[in-house]
Amino acid sequence: MTHHAPNLRAEKISGGVATDRRHDSAHKHVTGTAVYIDDMPEPAGLLHGCLGLCTVAHAKILSMDLDAVRMAPGVRLVLTGRDMPASNDISPTGRRDEPVLADGLVQFHGQPIFAVIAETREQARRACRLAKVEYEELPFITDVGETDGRNGKMVTPPLKLERGDASSAIASAPRRISGQMRCGGQDHFYLEGQIALAVPGEDQDVTVYSSTQHPSEVQHMVAHVLGVPSHAVTVEIRRMGGGFGGKETQGNQFAAIAAVAAKKLHRAVKIRPDRDDDMTATGKRHDFLIDYEVGFDDEGRILGADFHYAARCGFSSDLSGPVTDRALFHCDNAYFYPAVKATSAPLYTNTVSNTAFRGFGGPQGMVGAERIIDEVAFAVGRDPLEIRKLNFYGVGERDVTPYHQTVEDNVLERIVAELEASSDYERRRREIAAFNANSPIVKRGLALTPVKFGISFTATFYNQAGALVHVYTDGSVHLNHGGTEMGQGLYVKVAQVVAEEFQIDIEQVKITATTTGKVPNTSATAASSGTDLNGMAAQNAARQIKDRLIDFAAEKHGVPKEQVVFLPNRVRIGNQEIPFADLVKQAYMARVQLSAAGFYKTPKIHWDRDKGQGHPFYYFAYGASCSEVSIDTLTGEYVVERTDILHETGKSLNRAIDLGQIEGGFIQGMGWLTTEELVWDEKGRLRTHAPSTYKIPLASDRPKIFNVALADWSENVEPTVHKSKAVGEPPFMLAMSVLHALSDAVASVADHRICPRLDAPATPERVLMAVERVRREAGA
Amino acid sequence: MAGLAVSTTINGDSVEYLCQPDETLLDVLRDRLGLTGAKEGCGTGDCGACSIILDGRLVCSCLVLGAEAEGRRVETIEGMADGDVLHPLQQKFIEHAALQCGICTPGFLIAAKDLLARNPDPTEEEIRFGLAGNLCRCTGYDKIVRAVQDAASVMRAA
Amino acid sequence: MYSLNYHRASSVADAVKLQKKGEDAKFVSGGMTLIPAMKSRLAAPSDLVDLAHIAEMKGIKVSGKTVTIGGGTTHAEVATDAKLKAVCPALSYLASHIGDPHVRHKGTIGGSIANNDPAADYPAAMLALGATIITNKREIAADKFFTGLFETALKDGEIVTGVSFTAPAQAAYEKFRNPASRYAIVGVFVAKGKDGVRVAVTGAGDEGVFRAKGMEAALTKSFVPASLDGLAIPASGLMSDMHASAEYRSSLITVMAKRAVAKASA
Repeated sequence: MTHHAPNLRAEKISGGVATDRRHDSAHKHVTGTAVYIDDMPEPAGLLHGCLGLCTVAHAKILSMDLDAVRMAPGVRLVLTGRDMPASNDISPTGRRDEPVLADGLVQFHGQPIFAVIAETREQARRACRLAKVEYEELPFITDVGETDGRNGKMVTPPLKLERGDASSAIASAPRRISGQMRCGGQDHFYLEGQIALAVPGEDQDVTVYSSTQHPSEVQHMVAHVLGVPSHAVTVEIRRMGGGFGGKETQGNQFAAIAAVAAKKLHRAVKIRPDRDDDMTATGKRHDFLIDYEVGFDDEGRILGADFHYAARCGFSSDLSGPVTDRALFHCDNAYFYPAVKATSAPLYTNTVSNTAFRGFGGPQGMVGAERIIDEVAFAVGRDPLEIRKLNFYGVGERDVTPYHQTVEDNVLERIVAELEASSDYERRRREIAAFNANSPIVKRGLALTPVKFGISFTATFYNQAGALVHVYTDGSVHLNHGGTEMGQGLYVKVAQVVAEEFQIDIEQVKITATTTGKVPNTSATAASSGTDLNGMAAQNAARQIKDRLIDFAAEKHGVPKEQVVFLPNRVRIGNQEIPFADLVKQAYMARVQLSAAGFYKTPKIHWDRDKGQGHPFYYFAYGASCSEVSIDTLTGEYVVERTDILHETGKSLNRAIDLGQIEGGFIQGMGWLTTEELVWDEKGRLRTHAPSTYKIPLASDRPKIFNVALADWSENVEPTVHKSKAVGEPPFMLAMSVLHALSDAVASVADHRICPRLDAPATPERVLMAVERVRREAGA
Repeated sequence: MAGLAVSTTINGDSVEYLCQPDETLLDVLRDRLGLTGAKEGCGTGDCGACSIILDGRLVCSCLVLGAEAEGRRVETIEGMADGDVLHPLQQKFIEHAALQCGICTPGFLIAAKDLLARNPDPTEEEIRFGLAGNLCRCTGYDKIVRAVQDAASVMRAA
Repeated sequence: MYSLNYHRASSVADAVKLQKKGEDAKFVSGGMTLIPAMKSRLAAPSDLVDLAHIAEMKGIKVSGKTVTIGGGTTHAEVATDAKLKAVCPALSYLASHIGDPHVRHKGTIGGSIANNDPAADYPAAMLALGATIITNKREIAADKFFTGLFETALKDGEIVTGVSFTAPAQAAYEKFRNPASRYAIVGVFVAKGKDGVRVAVTGAGDEGVFRAKGMEAALTKSFVPASLDGLAIPASGLMSDMHASAEYRSSLITVMAKRAVAKASA
């Protein structure tokens, strides 16, 4: 890279906000030179770890004979739970229900029970197979359907949301329907699996390179397990090969084991599980069993709704509390319920502990809302889109959520109206009806579904962020913040904000790896909050320095502060313009501090979980999608023919990045609702633990026609960073239009008289079963 | 433990290395030769992150033994650009923002290069099915397909 | 200590010699099954004898209606060979739908047939085409070759050096594939030759690939999809697994068979 020479006459800086700046690592990505943790040059004497997994779903460990493992070639250390120096615990919310390595009791098939550290990865893997473990097996449950969905054992306290009297509203409604829906879980399938590389330092120190969305938590967990102060542990991550929530807490285990081994052996240790071990031993999206009852009038207006969301949480709480809470927060999706009750049941199961995944329970909440819309639409014999629109939140009326927050920024009506027009919904609805009338085997379906997603961590204290900005005497800038880069373009967006603030080309801003040594006590890069929080913190840091520069310039040149104006790559001071770098150098010579730590906390939010009331979300993000599918009614196979999306990201900081998030989120959501199926067998073993058995979408699955647009007119009503909106999670739920288009196609085999009640994932077999059931019921 | 001595050609250069008989070409490239552009996404030939071109044919290097490379021609992502000049596919992937986390990108570029070598003027559908051996979890594929289409037209005009 | 020797065979005779020398030597062709199996320790041979460079096992010959394909021919080569496509497009189509491009460039027809995965595509074609499997020792009729799940008539030291068959007048392959692995959940190959109609089903049978004799009889009478109306392979002999229930497979077999007949007649 040659040195960047800023244009001192430019009208605009390069890479400011609201530009389609490419991903900061794009050039390295296409040349294969972007360094992920496994690509780092290996420290001398590096050892490799492998985890030994248990082979039963629930059992007491009677004995564990690891002699052969210890004697195997290349093995340097074998660790069990008892070898954890201070604490065998990595429960992220402090419930002490999740060991680093299971000790005495195993609670799911594939739970790590020991770790082998050897000279090579292959030696560690081979040695793992030599363990002899005796178990006394205990009864186990893997499926929430087998538990008491209301009063079964829970891993964390349930939540209830209530507004009005739902039972009487339903009881007195002209029409009522109740039913049950299942929606499956989802493996993250980040292409870069979990990985940790621990390098021991002097005294108690250890540096861990961890593929994590939450370096501060890894730091705290490693310190907790080692029994050392947090200051002894530094966690660093430059980039992840995908995260999606799967690296919010799930990296803790690998980091803790690598760090313990590294400190014991005084050698660097790397742990990178194989894909099947990763899929077996790390948590996934929660699957849910949703019971619902809805009361409505003859027009299809909902009068009362009652939901119960039972979730397969696995053996420990992990993040299941906030995940199941967020499901309830989205049981309304975009709809106003005059009276509503929603309850959760975070159920204990003998499966891997489920965790964060893009949407964090929100998607599962929303599919429940969309199911009742479908039920009502079929019951009153109207197009589901009409029922959706009839029940949308209003503006200034009908605008209170089940958690008593008023919706103040509703743009649903406009988004849906524009999408309805641009996707030509009405005409295609008629054409599809005509097509289906003449096509006995292939049937088409169409659906338009909305998304309203709440932005903020519901644990209010997480809504804070820090940043560190240094300006060097040559005018170049070093930027660091607590957010992590997993491909979503956070680093470049925050750099755009800083470049904009100083009015310098983005090439002058160096984006640096996230590390707990520079910005402490950070929150996970999660809940779509990365840019909102870290962008504001970085802006705050830059403003502090800028204010000092303004004070300095005003005093030195004897002009009022208003006459110090930052122009592209230069500063106007009174009547003269000097390069930014020159002002910086002058300021340095005058002993002005050119470094600042920035901070931000989200205003306005509060939440009382016991009462189920508050204002947990700073704002909402909105979007809608329209999908058309065709299904083969003899095999259940289907194709997504066309999808149109209109989504808003406020005043977008970077349209190219935002569009990428929307497209990627939609396809990932489509995978969740269609082909991605997790299967546990009768032994409680996860059978879908490789890409040969677990199907994520391929290029060939992308909708044949895919029109994605940003709502250019949108702007955040709240003072977020340059009026932008979060974009990470909301688009995921746009994929509900695919599930409902499939449902629409299925319903066509019986003239749309019977609600298909299509569960997710809607695999071809499930679609075929729905076709046959709808036919049967229509005939009966 | 003595290894096998293998002589091969990588990105046009003659290369010799020692490897174990059960060591995959992917491990040889990454661990012995420092060519870390090819990634291990699954290790079972299902994700395409380790794509390379072997004697002009696209393969998963995790399912090729290092020993098999003897006397053959290996092309990896590291050899795709001509010095500082990016290959049109690389250029178009950047322009179309056809990447996010970037870890599947080298594999996609290699697969796309092989696709265009066989079919310089593919339809959109041929691209989508031709790249179906590579997984991407971030982008939703749309921008990748557009980048390949665009690169193909640039390459045809060249 | 686990150790492995790798040998590149220069001829069939060389391969046989090398295999005999090893304690537990295995032939490897494309390696698409064996290498993953070795990684997961499902296979731990002492020696690997690489067949990929044996010139006499490569290539496709078409003489009139007689087709001979070398065992070392890759799926991509079978899929794109113009002479083959002219006489038996059904087999070209089948090969073009195996796995993904990466697999098709390395996997070979001989390797696939010798492995006899119950969900592999080629075994259905071999059975339906009434092909002859040629080894270094003998010629075996396909009907006698595929003997069970991953089981064949091959003996130790025997290599599938090629296959041969007479191109049928009409043939087609229809597959309902596993969306993840792209193996067949149900694959049906129908072929109408001078001795009648043969129908072979892969992906579905409890004991691997099989011929659907009832369907063959019906189609020999009249080679139209409607001949299969009401004909189904009972679910009792079919696989039920996480990918599909036996009932679903049963229903798919009839659908795929009808579609194959329609395609063959088109």
